[in-house]
Amino acid sequence: MLRITNLVKCYGNDKAVLSDLDLEVPGESCVAIIGASGAGKSTLLRCINRLVEPTSGSIELNGVNLTQLRGSALRGARRRIGMIFQSFNLIDRLTVMENVLSGRLGYVPFWRAAARRFPQQDIDRAFHLMERVGIAHYANKRADELSGGERQRVGVVRALMQEPEILLADEPTASLDPKTSMQIMELLRSLSEEYRLPVLINIHNVQEAKEYTQRIVGMRFGRIIFDGLPSDLDADAMDKVYAGVPAAERQGAEGGIAAGAAV
Amino acid sequence: MVGAAGDTAVGGTAAHRAWSRHTVRQRWTRYFITLLIGLAAYWSLASIDIEPEWALDAPAQIGDLIGRMTPPDFSRLPQIIGAIVETLNIATIATVLGVLVSMPVAWLAAQNTTPNQATLWLGRFILVSSRSVNTIIWALLFVAIFGPGVLAGIIAIMFRSIGFLGKLMSEAIEEIDRAPIEALEAVGASRSKVLLYGVVPQVIPTFVAVTILRWDINLRESTVLGLVGAGGIGLILQGAIDTFAWQTVSTILLAIIAMVVAGEALAAWLRNKVI
Amino acid sequence: MSNQNAASAPLPRRTWRKPPFIANPAIRWGIIILSIVYIVWALATLPFDWVRIQEGLPRAARIFSSAFPPDLKRPGLVLDGLMETLRIAILATILGVGASIPIAFMAASNLAPRPIYLLGRGIIIVARSFHPVIVAIVFVKAVGFGPLAGILTLAIYSIGFVAKMLAERIEEIDWGQVEALRAAGAGYFITLIYAVLPQIMPRQIGLTIYQFDSNLRASAVVGIVGAGGIGATLMNAFRRYDYDFALAITLIIIAAILVSEAISGRIRRKIW
Repeated sequence: MLRITNLVKCYGNDKAVLSDLDLEVPGESCVAIIGASGAGKSTLLRCINRLVEPTSGSIELNGVNLTQLRGSALRGARRRIGMIFQSFNLIDRLTVMENVLSGRLGYVPFWRAAARRFPQQDIDRAFHLMERVGIAHYANKRADELSGGERQRVGVVRALMQEPEILLADEPTASLDPKTSMQIMELLRSLSEEYRLPVLINIHNVQEAKEYTQRIVGMRFGRIIFDGLPSDLDADAMDKVYAGVPAAERQGAEGGIAAGAAV
Repeated sequence: MVGAAGDTAVGGTAAHRAWSRHTVRQRWTRYFITLLIGLAAYWSLASIDIEPEWALDAPAQIGDLIGRMTPPDFSRLPQIIGAIVETLNIATIATVLGVLVSMPVAWLAAQNTTPNQATLWLGRFILVSSRSVNTIIWALLFVAIFGPGVLAGIIAIMFRSIGFLGKLMSEAIEEIDRAPIEALEAVGASRSKVLLYGVVPQVIPTFVAVTILRWDINLRESTVLGLVGAGGIGLILQGAIDTFAWQTVSTILLAIIAMVVAGEALAAWLRNKVI
Repeated sequence: MSNQNAASAPLPRRTWRKPPFIANPAIRWGIIILSIVYIVWALATLPFDWVRIQEGLPRAARIFSSAFPPDLKRPGLVLDGLMETLRIAILATILGVGASIPIAFMAASNLAPRPIYLLGRGIIIVARSFHPVIVAIVFVKAVGFGPLAGILTLAIYSIGFVAKMLAERIEEIDWGQVEALRAAGAGYFITLIYAVLPQIMPRQIGLTIYQFDSNLRASAVVGIVGAGGIGATLMNAFRRYDYDFALAITLIIIAAILVSEAISGRIRRKIW
């Protein structure tokens, strides 16, 4: 259960990037966060695991207030939060297996990490998850030899290796082609069910958001202005979220709605 | 009728247009720079402490010396080869030690990995001193401390290498892709593990290339150690020069050329295999 | 897939180790063993005088305490030394770079016939193989003490670097430009001037500036063996056990090198 209260983020004396943000995400739900560029989606996600420092407000994950943590307590909290990135953020020169195992770096002592002697349990889980997403045969390949979709899957496995309490996905499909995009979204949705994980997905493509998630949160200028079921996201609501946004960006976001794709 | 650029009319008189390669401003800049260089040369020649007769005599003197150096005398070849091997060993060991020491210094001197501003300045200071003090001076210092012998030589080359290696390594560290670092921080890894998994794999190719390069340079640097008593071929060379055994000197110089050329070949081959 | 938490489901046991850098175990172990043997042998054959080394630390302390604080006793001497270093660097750069241009053309495989190419490359190899100090010693014996030896030494030093870099640049030129001029009937040297020279000029200028900076640095050092410049001043201070003066001179040399490096770096960036 993620509970965000009164979250504010300002850079210097400028207008706030996030203001008075309240959000509650109960366990086991797949939530899409939509909004124009600059609405604050990425900042919101990064405040949760403190990659960005919130200016004020509180973020509680399963009862623990994340905003006050420091040092090893912060690292302890971070290892329970899995993150998936738009650019995959893999370690290119290392093998897929090492990238996947790096998800356990918050748990294993330094010497194990250095010698690559991870506990057998971690290795078993790694193979299991890699088979689940279909990349087990790449275990010893260098991460930069994989395609975009495959790399994102490595990212997903890495996040799952942390045994996280919540998954944050920052535009996970923005760098992928439409078909691979759908595969990744489907993967996230089914993993959320399987492991009973709350998943927050920043996404540009509203069509995919409607199709693969159970709840849509719309942001604009750092505030939440829509929060409801995908079916409630009608043209009116879309206008509110994307008002004042250049037509091209909005069309990109609306994706296949005009083409009448099934919801 | 085909007209040159400037013809105003068919059959009429052509108005000539001038063309020059440089604009007026460019020409003035070129004149100015040439003047500057000329003045610098003139000042240097005028004020330098060289007797003109000596300068004119120089080609003859050099020719005389070359004459005395041919043909090379190979009678002391075994000693020379022994000293070359010693030079090689000094260079290799010093490079290895230098690499080990320069890694933490590079870590200190890189803006993105250094703990705080003070350590950044410390790291940069170490690098600058190491680079700016010549090998001979380091060797003099360590001969004064450790006495004559190869230890002084190894430590001197090591100190000298730290600046070169550390500067290039710290630049490599500063140029890494931050994306994997972000991911590792999000995973909850401590600073040391972020370094190990995020920074190290990205900088290894540069580290290896720089190490090979420095080894190659150190081969040459190690040849002068003996001149101040710090081991290697310099000692035999100095001895031969002091006793005017010019034909032995040329053998030594040939041996040095052979060592350097072989070293460069090896370095080039290694670079191809490893990178 | 079952709906259980992954950790509690029975999992197949598979091991994994990071694949080693060198796949073939014979080669891998061969290299590791050879390296260990080499290091042991090298350390064993190098003569270490342990007694003397142990005395080293207190000696070091003594030297450092007499070197501190640095004392600029005779600034006039230092200034003279610096000026002479500057003169040596200027003349050596002009001489060296001037000689490098024809040698670079000789050493370019796309322009020079084979025997000349080999000669050019040979000159460069000989010029590069020797540390400038060694070259300085030889020149001191040939033409006597003083800046003349220094200038000749650094000219050779310049040739070793500039000619090599320039030859590489010449080998990388766009051949099409040469072909066009040849097709128009231009002679050999005219082609060089119109087609090759403009392509290598930017690199040439950058190299010259870099080499001037290098020569300044090296010139501070060849003085140690008698080839003039501030190196000689430093050497004299060292010989007279004037360690605090020596330290002052060393610091000034470091400062001068930093300044020259900064200036040459800025100029090169501006013209790039």
